[in-house]
Amino acid sequence: MAALPTRRVVLAAGATLPLAAMAGCGGVDVLAAPPRPAPDVEVLRSAIAAEQLMIARYAAVLRDGSGSARPAGGGSPATMSADLDRLLAPLLAQHKAHLAQLRSRLIVPAGSRAAGPPPSGHSPGTPTVPAAPAAAVAFLRAAEQAAATAMLNRLPHAPAPVAQLFASISASEATHVPVLDAALRAAG
Amino acid sequence: MSGPAASPPGTVAALQSALAAEEAAVYGYGIVGANLTGSPQAAAKAGWVAHQTAADALEAMLQSRGAQPTAAAAGYLLPITVRSDSEAVSLAVILEDRIEAAYLGLVALNSTAIRQFGALQLRAAALRAAAWRGSTVAFPGLPASALAAPQRHES
Repeated sequence: MAALPTRRVVLAAGATLPLAAMAGCGGVDVLAAPPRPAPDVEVLRSAIAAEQLMIARYAAVLRDGSGSARPAGGGSPATMSADLDRLLAPLLAQHKAHLAQLRSRLIVPAGSRAAGPPPSGHSPGTPTVPAAPAAAVAFLRAAEQAAATAMLNRLPHAPAPVAQLFASISASEATHVPVLDAALRAAG
Repeated sequence: MSGPAASPPGTVAALQSALAAEEAAVYGYGIVGANLTGSPQAAAKAGWVAHQTAADALEAMLQSRGAQPTAAAAGYLLPITVRSDSEAVSLAVILEDRIEAAYLGLVALNSTAIRQFGALQLRAAALRAAAWRGSTVAFPGLPASALAAPQRHES
């Protein structure tokens, strides 16, 4: 995840992209060393990867929670998973909104290998999440807290409009923690 | 040492606007608390203290930049009339939303320390707003106009 591909991407922050830069991208690739993305592009890419991971974690927990693979003897699985779904769905939806906004700030030149939505090989796949509902919620809680902190650490490296988006997303993720805390208390 | 010349004019203006939002929140939380009882009232008192503390921090930041903090007004026009506990909660949410927007202004500045301060205050306000609202939002402090309309729905 740390080794970001050296693709030609530019930030949407300025929105004053010279057309020549876009038009010339086909020929530049034959030069000896591919250009390195600017640091602000790398920080945006890492934020996008972090949101993709959070979404994959929520999706994995929701899949486990509503699936049939629940181990027996865990109280009332059907009720628990319905409660869990109701609780987690809005948080997952917010992460998807985060991802959409982050992606909108990254302009990928047409013809570049990174054009369009990232290929599935670029997304983290299905992460391993705890099977027991309480453990899964605790796992998400820790992940939210870490994600909120990581997002704050990206602030110094981002142009102002992107920094504001990072700060807002970090705050949103921080507000997910008490929601998951409440779920943990409810789960006993 | 860090005289006014060290801070671009936008810094002082953004700090003053955050201070004005905090002073308004301090005043507003007085009204919020007066209309609540029990644990919501305790939350309102905690909010009042948090906003007073933040206002003090902003005043110190302004003074360290050689700027005179703008004094709080004696009273503020409230955005809504508060006569019930539910209206008090609505007011608290509005106050926190305004605070969030003011701190996003600080996040736009170039100073890493001020950005961090703004982001932490934004988080604190978002946590209080979510507690009052009983739900969370995707983009605390960001107006809809700052958000790109998604070109297509991504899964």
